Amino acid sequence: MKTAITALATTLALGVGMGGAAQAQEDTILIGIQVPTTGSEATYGQDMFNAAELAAEEINANGGLLGREVELVTGDSACDPQQSVNAAGNLVSRDVVGIVGGYCSGATMPTLNTYGDEGLPFVITASNSTQLIPANPGNAFMINSTGADQSKKAAEFFEAQGVERLAVIDQGDSYSQDLADLTVERWESMGHEVATRETVNKGEQDFSAVVSNVRSSGADAVFWTAYYADGGLMIRQLRQGGFRGMIAVGDGSNSPQLFDIAGGAAEGVFGFSNPTAEFLPEAASFIDDYQAEYDQNPGPYAPLNYDGLKLLTWAIDKAGTTDSAAVIDALETTDGQSWLTGPISFTDEKTLARSNFIILEGTDGAWTFYDN
Amino acid sequence: MPAFETFLQAIVNGLVLGSFYALIALGYTMIFGVIKLLNFAHGDVYMVGAFVGFGVLSLISGVVGAGWFGLSIAILVSMIAVGCLGVIIQRVAYQPMLSAPRLSILITALAVSLVLQNSALSLTDGKYTAFRTDLGFGGFEFGRLFISHQAIVLVAIAALLMIALELFVSRTMYGRAMRAVSIDKDMCRLLGINVTRVVAITFLIGSGLAAAAGTMAGAYYGSIWYFMGFLIGLKAFTAAVIGGIGSITGAMLGGLILGLLESFGTLVPFIGSEWKDVFTFSILILVLVFKPTGLLGKSEVERM
Repeated sequence: MKTAITALATTLALGVGMGGAAQAQEDTILIGIQVPTTGSEATYGQDMFNAAELAAEEINANGGLLGREVELVTGDSACDPQQSVNAAGNLVSRDVVGIVGGYCSGATMPTLNTYGDEGLPFVITASNSTQLIPANPGNAFMINSTGADQSKKAAEFFEAQGVERLAVIDQGDSYSQDLADLTVERWESMGHEVATRETVNKGEQDFSAVVSNVRSSGADAVFWTAYYADGGLMIRQLRQGGFRGMIAVGDGSNSPQLFDIAGGAAEGVFGFSNPTAEFLPEAASFIDDYQAEYDQNPGPYAPLNYDGLKLLTWAIDKAGTTDSAAVIDALETTDGQSWLTGPISFTDEKTLARSNFIILEGTDGAWTFYDN
Repeated sequence: MPAFETFLQAIVNGLVLGSFYALIALGYTMIFGVIKLLNFAHGDVYMVGAFVGFGVLSLISGVVGAGWFGLSIAILVSMIAVGCLGVIIQRVAYQPMLSAPRLSILITALAVSLVLQNSALSLTDGKYTAFRTDLGFGGFEFGRLFISHQAIVLVAIAALLMIALELFVSRTMYGRAMRAVSIDKDMCRLLGINVTRVVAITFLIGSGLAAAAGTMAGAYYGSIWYFMGFLIGLKAFTAAVIGGIGSITGAMLGGLILGLLESFGTLVPFIGSEWKDVFTFSILILVLVFKPTGLLGKSEVERM
């Protein structure tokens, strides 16, 4: 308890002190970065903050925004709903012109109201639960694809690759079954045929029956929607069983260990993944800058947060003012603006219009970037 | 799809699966034969065999490569090492319990299973370990029928081991002693047979065969983990029961039958491969209800 009080007092003191400083420098534009910098997700949160800071430094080096400097303020959500509401309150009281971030969907949810009441623009960069959509008062914009987008990406990719008969295999758990169901639904609605839909048991080692079903179904592609450990086995046995068609795996199999288990069989296998810096060709210099500045690799959500800050500042620049309503209007006109993770446009629900999943390919025993 | 090729493919799949089941079922059946113990730790002995085989192959692959030659050495070393482990398990865990009620020794077997599983869990952090070999994915293709080279060699090795065991049991002195012990332990003691040694040899051979199956399965499927022995142990037990527990030929037959049943079971319309285990254990129940002695088991005490 004593530590909590001390921490509170310190926070207040710092807040007052920094608030004074910000008022003194009236020419800076304050932007709130809501990320977890403490708690279990602190590393990801710190990565996201660092990425936003890199973006701000670039903007300032190029003459700033509306002729003023961009300054970032951290709001530590700690991946906890209560803490994040407090953090949001702090950011609002600091007179930020907009907020970028949002990591845990559960912690992002209650802050939607806080910012909504103030009418502040909020660019949500990592949280992607579909539950955020109905809770959005209209000021929040999601630039990370929701889970359902993966099936769309997958189905479109298979179609583009000329696949006609698709076999879908899941592992009976909610994640893989959901992705498989969505993919099957979409694939059929696109007028294609599902050759076979298989489910295997977790921990099973012998998939020979599935392999022969796939082969006798005449499938020319297999989509494995579950995790890497059994995915590696499945890929291996598909190849061992003489299946020569295309194999693709969902983001649950996006692990280097897949190659350990599948061995040479994983060559040429396709995988879907959220936009991680190391697989984004546009992010090469970003990685260099990030490593030079922070002496570590950017985490999986850093590019999204970088893009989030760029997007918000782009909107402020376009609106020509920091007035919240004008910035939100500008955000609504976003039309394919692209930085690291690909072009950004919004649906009527203010979610990303396209799927931002990227496609990877297994080459020489590792994942490499294949396509956006 | 020509139905004939599907049929042949199911036979091939069933034979591969069946030879793993048969090799493990042999251990179950032999141990049951000599000390009337359902050794539920046997599946985990198989798992340990896979890890030992993996360790040996990693050690020697730099010198002899990870091809067939290296793998044969790995299988051999794993068989010997895990065979000795089987003897140690028998000495430490089962020997003191031999005169205790059946149930006590059965529970001891479950305890041994947990010890082996959890040791492997703590050594590997529960992660899947990739079992790398240089065997490649080649094979013979006839239309849609595909038989990999690996499958052929593994089935051949399994067959060789089973023939060797059959010869050992029927032709050698210790084989004869084993059969005698399985009929009447006390009489054997009176006649001067070293029963303890015979039991030890049984554990040595049974565990060795499981280790061979484990190493071969690791090489064939490419990944091993601490829990791999659980399900396959139960299935091998089922195989032993189908064949008639206590009967060596029965265990081989039971393993093959179970492998084939599983692989054909998934061809039945509306039964997806996720129902495979349900299928297997339904068979177990049916056998226990209608022919508890199994296919080759006899209802008298005489076994092996």
